[in-house]
Order: sequence, then C-alpha cells, then structure tokens
Amino acid sequence: MRRTLMAAAAVLAIALIGANRFPAAVAASGSADEPSLDDLLAADCIDDAAIEVQQAAARLPQEGGVASDNWPPNAVGGVIPPLRSVSDPFPTFDGIALDTENDRVIFSDENRHSLLVYDRTAGGASNDVTEPRQWVFGPKTLLGYIAVVEVDPKRKEFYTVNNDSGDRMTVFSYDDHGNVQPRRQLILPHQSWDVSLAQGRDEIAITVQQSNAISLFKRSATGTAAPIRTIRGLATELEDPHGLYFDETHNELIVANHGNWTQIRPYSPYDPLTTDVGEYKSGAFHPSAITVHAADANGDVPPLRTIEGDLTGLNWPMGIDVDLIHDEIAVANYGDSSVRVFRRSGKGNVQPVRVLRGALTQIVGPVSVAIDTKNEELWVANYGDHTAVVFPRTASGNARPKRIIRNAPKDTPTCGFTNASAAAYDSKRDEILVPN
Amino acid sequence: MPRISVFARSANGNVAPKRVIEGQATNLSRTMHGIAYDTAHDEIVIPVALSGAVLVFKADASGEVPPLRAIQGTRTRLVRPHTVAVDPVNNEILTADPSSRAIFVFDRMANGNVAAKRVISGAQTGLLDIVGLDVDPIRNVIVASSRKGNGDKVGLFVFDRLANGDVPPKQFIGGPNSKLAHFRQVAIDPATGNIFLAQQNTRMKQMEAYVLDKPREGFQAKQQDEDDDSDEGRLDQMGFIAVYAPDDNGDIPPRAIIKGPGIRMAGAAGVALNPKKKEIITVGGNGFQTFLLPEFFRPFKKIGTTAIPR
Repeated sequence: MRRTLMAAAAVLAIALIGANRFPAAVAASGSADEPSLDDLLAADCIDDAAIEVQQAAARLPQEGGVASDNWPPNAVGGVIPPLRSVSDPFPTFDGIALDTENDRVIFSDENRHSLLVYDRTAGGASNDVTEPRQWVFGPKTLLGYIAVVEVDPKRKEFYTVNNDSGDRMTVFSYDDHGNVQPRRQLILPHQSWDVSLAQGRDEIAITVQQSNAISLFKRSATGTAAPIRTIRGLATELEDPHGLYFDETHNELIVANHGNWTQIRPYSPYDPLTTDVGEYKSGAFHPSAITVHAADANGDVPPLRTIEGDLTGLNWPMGIDVDLIHDEIAVANYGDSSVRVFRRSGKGNVQPVRVLRGALTQIVGPVSVAIDTKNEELWVANYGDHTAVVFPRTASGNARPKRIIRNAPKDTPTCGFTNASAAAYDSKRDEILVPN
Repeated sequence: MPRISVFARSANGNVAPKRVIEGQATNLSRTMHGIAYDTAHDEIVIPVALSGAVLVFKADASGEVPPLRAIQGTRTRLVRPHTVAVDPVNNEILTADPSSRAIFVFDRMANGNVAAKRVISGAQTGLLDIVGLDVDPIRNVIVASSRKGNGDKVGLFVFDRLANGDVPPKQFIGGPNSKLAHFRQVAIDPATGNIFLAQQNTRMKQMEAYVLDKPREGFQAKQQDEDDDSDEGRLDQMGFIAVYAPDDNGDIPPRAIIKGPGIRMAGAAGVALNPKKKEIITVGGNGFQTFLLPEFFRPFKKIGTTAIPR
C-alpha cells in the first residue's frame, strides 16, 4: 500500500512538473523589439519532464472535440505543456473519524479526493509514509473536494460529503478499497461541509456553508431525498457553519461557525434573473462561534447557547468532537493552529479549559479532531503539513504528540489549495497570488 | 480553506507558498473566485462571497492581517460577489455578483457602507451567472464572462467602461462555434487588448439539486452524476484557455488556445497574465501551471485575413 501511495504521487508529479520543450506550433518568430523565446526560457528553470505531457497529448483521441488538432481552425497554440506546474501529489488530511470498536481511523483527503483508512494504533516516530490499510480513491468513488468523514461502527460504514464539485454525500463500506463506487449516495445542497450521525434517531445532520443551515435527513436517505427538517434563518446565528456534532444524549446539535453571513439568493445559471427574496440584508463579518441547537429544532429557531468572544480564542473553528464522559467540546482551531477544549455546557465569552498549541505539538492548520475516551487519546488532522498527530486526551500547552501518521515523507511541502479558481500576478514582487 | 497563497513566479513542483493571508482577522471566506493586483497602488483586491464584501489588502500582507478597506453594507447592494477587477487608471474597483446578477463599479478608495458609482444589470445586459470580470482602461471596456443555463447567452460580454444600468453589451462572444460553456476568470492583456478566458470544460455547468435550502423542483439525479469542475475521463469536453482579439464579436472560435493534458491538470478555472515575461498562469483544482507563449501577447490579425501559421 505504501508503494501504491508513493507511486501514485510520483506519476502525478511527473505529469505536473514543468518543462522546456516548446511546441513548434507556437514557436513562431517574434518582432525585433521583443525578447526571444530562448532568452525567456534561459531565465527559467529547465526540466525535461514535460516531454511526458507531450507524449500523453499524442495519445489523445484526435477525431473530435477540443482535443482534436482541427479545433479551433487556424488558431495559435494547441496542445502545449506548461513551463512550470505547482501541485501537491500527496493526500492532505482534513476530516477524521475514529472507530474504537473496530480499531480503525478514517481520514478524508481533500487534495487527491480520497479516503484513507488506518489501524487505530497506526503511526509512530517514523519520517516515512504511514501505510493505510485501505485507500478509497478514483473516479468511480465520486469523491470531490471532501472536507470531513463520519463513521458508523455498527454498520461498518463511513460517510463523506463533497463540499464542492458534485454536491453529494457518499457512503462506503469497511470492505471497500481502491476505485469503487459508493454503496449509496445522497444529493445535498451545495457547500455542505460536515456530516454527523445519530445512531439512536437514525438521522444524519449536515452543515451547509452558503445557506447558513443545518439540514437533517434519515440516515438511510439516498438520491434526491429531501431533508426531514432544516434549521436556518437569522435567529439561528448559524454563520458559515463548519464542524457539527449530533449529541443524542442531550438532544443537541453543536456547530462551529466562521462568522461570515450573507443573504443567499438563487444564483445559478438555471435560476431566473430576479427573484423575490424579501428585504435586502447586507453581508456581515461576525466573530467565530460555537452554537448549540435543539436537535428537534426546525426553521428559524435561536440557538440554546453560544460560545463566542475574545476569551474563547476561536479563530476559524473547523471540525469539532464532543466528549460526553468528561463533558467537553474539542475544536480544531485552524486560524491559530491550536486545539481548544471547552466545557460542553459553556456559554458566552468563556476561556477554554485547555489549549493545545505550539511548535512542539506539530499542529499545523488543523481541520478536525477526534476524542478517544476508550484509549484516552486525542487525534488531530493537519491540513498544513501531511500529518495527523495523536496526543494523550488531556494534553495541554506546547506538548509533543505521542505518535504521528504521515501521508507523505517528513517535510514534504503542502501547497494548500482547495479548488482554487483564480489567480493574479504581482509584477512588483514577481509573485503569483492564488486564493482558495 | 479560505486563504490567499503567494508563490514565487518561478515556483515549480510541490512547493509551499512563500506567504499566506488567512485567519479570522482577514475576514476572508471560501468561494474567492477572483483576485486582482493593483499595479499602481500595490494592493490586492479580493471578493468575499459568504460575507457580501470586497476587501483590499496591502500587497505584501502576510498572515492574519485585517484588510485596509472593506466594501460591505446595505448601500453596496452586494450579496455574493465572486470576482473582481481593478482599474488603476480611473481609480475604480469592479466586482461581479452572480446573486445580484450585476456588475458593480466602486471608487477605488471606497470603504464601508458605500453605494456603487455604476451598476450594469438587467434583462438587456444578458448577464446572469457572472463568473469572470476584467477592465481595459486603455480601450475603455469591461469584459465579463456570464452563463445562462439554457445555453442562450453563455459567453463573453463586452461593455463600454462607463456603461450604467440595463444596457446591452457592445460585443458578445458565444455560441456553438465558440464551445464556450463552463468558464470562469477573464484577463486582459493591456498592451494588445487580447482577452483571455479560462474554461473548465465544454459542458455547461450542471444544475444544482437545491435552490437555497429547498430541493429544486424537477431536478433529476442523473444530471448530478459527474464532477462538475473536472474533465477527467471526458476528453471531448476538456477545458482550455481561449484568447480573443479585443474587437472579436459573435459565434467564433478562439484565436489562440491552450489545451491538452498540460491545461487539463488544472481544470483552467482561473487565468492571470505576466505580459513582461509572456507568461500565462492558469489555475484550477488543486494547482496552477505557467505557460510561456509570446504569440499570445501579440495583436491578432483581423478575421478573414491569414492567421499566423501553426
């Protein structure tokens, strides 16, 4: 499996690395006052790898479509290899789900669109890639820009949600490996982020970023099944919701919010030019917050309580987990690379009961956390550096992890893209700007 | 993750950004489908879709820093701005908002709850799902990319720079011969006026299953069975970078194109230009590529005359 992970990364890397081979089709001579092509090339790094791109181009079907050499007619350019290419060929962890009954841990990988399953005791002090026991990966999986993963130990299934590119939840079995179709799928609102399972109620709850909502479905819902209820509206204080935990014991939904809010309107190319959405309300920036909602709420219902304010230190909170034995909420605090633990019943501008943060922790851009009360551990999935780190459950301060799971060799850089769709060039600093 | 990553122009391979702008104080959110660098004032302009705002940062910003200025509030009429452009000559910031179905033009120094100077919107404009935008202060035009689901009016809309209200475009590039469908960012080469467009694939953007938080009436699941932004496995629908001359109009194919495996790695959602080095930067998915193409930075011959031989 390790060889598979490394080989797959290597193949992508070969295809992405820049090149010096310039296609004759576009190498026409320039005017006298322009730098020559050789001069331009000489100023840049030279690499033969993109010959691979040219060879791949030759294997494309030429009979039709834009791959054909015949379209567009008489145009400049064509099939051209890049001079340089920046991309990360390795997985990046974001979501995490822990199954202490079957001793597995499952990670979602936003970068390569995959799900990686490890033994719960995996990882250690090695600088090498940690070998997953399963890797769900490939076009049949329908995995897009997935943010999270949820696990059902009883049915031995795991769930993930495409936050972008293919609005759906997909469900896989513990027996699934490789390029496999999901066991079932449920179509979801665009920008759905987290999924949390309520075993007793046989429901799942989903956060939706753009509509500032929580949608609830039957656990077994498939296809275009509609939500059984939705919590949404100004009174809910849901604002760019991310992490979600369905607390059946207390009949509550606990949500991490980034604080962005705007009035969503129909926006797609299939919606009309104008729609009546009532009074215009402008967008707003609010502080990050943890909101707690009644699990039976439906519609525009205020939260039961909110953790928010300077003392909380909340800064783009992503995934959360709840420890029902010790009555604590753990938050992956992406904005300051920390894990913050609050009293479950906390309310208002309260300090966390402990904070795990610092260089020794190796927490870098955390997106999810998982609490293991059975084995007294705390797991953190780092988006920032190709690792997940495991601590004693009550670790605090600048503590070292007890073991590390790596999806790339130590010190492998992370580009950090999530479906980047724009760029700008800074001519003063000779830099390229890419927003996510 | 919402962030602005900054890379050296020469970055190649798997490299980390030189610096990153991110964190609560930045007020950034996801869906930042546009970005502009203001060469005259050394600033970065960025839309924040999920907070209905446009932010301006110092160009050398790094880490968790607040924006210099933020355009947001009831007077702005912004809902979910997706893309931006900056006009350093006329001191204006432009943003396109697919939810408002409008292009807004603000004073460059606008800050807070301020009204737009001009708004291009309405049935005559043909604009709907506006996903890309740039301005050419030399030729005095605004170029927007916009999509309509029934295939009508899917393409590039060219307006007079001072257009205001419900006005028709002066030029429109689109139609079956253009193969324009699922595109995003627009960039204009200031020297030639050549218009660059990033197209993710040649299949129209798929219908979403929900309208707000409600399932879309009549939605069929089979329409959602493929990744909307990727062209993997669909070689006849591959995305590309298309280039047009400033006066192009009608149902025409591109004058220049980047296609093939190199560009499909990115999915080509974004495009930026480095005219000095004759480089085209394309971004999409989880990476970006740089192409060296001096021919694309020269004036194209008028249609009907002989093109540069391939």
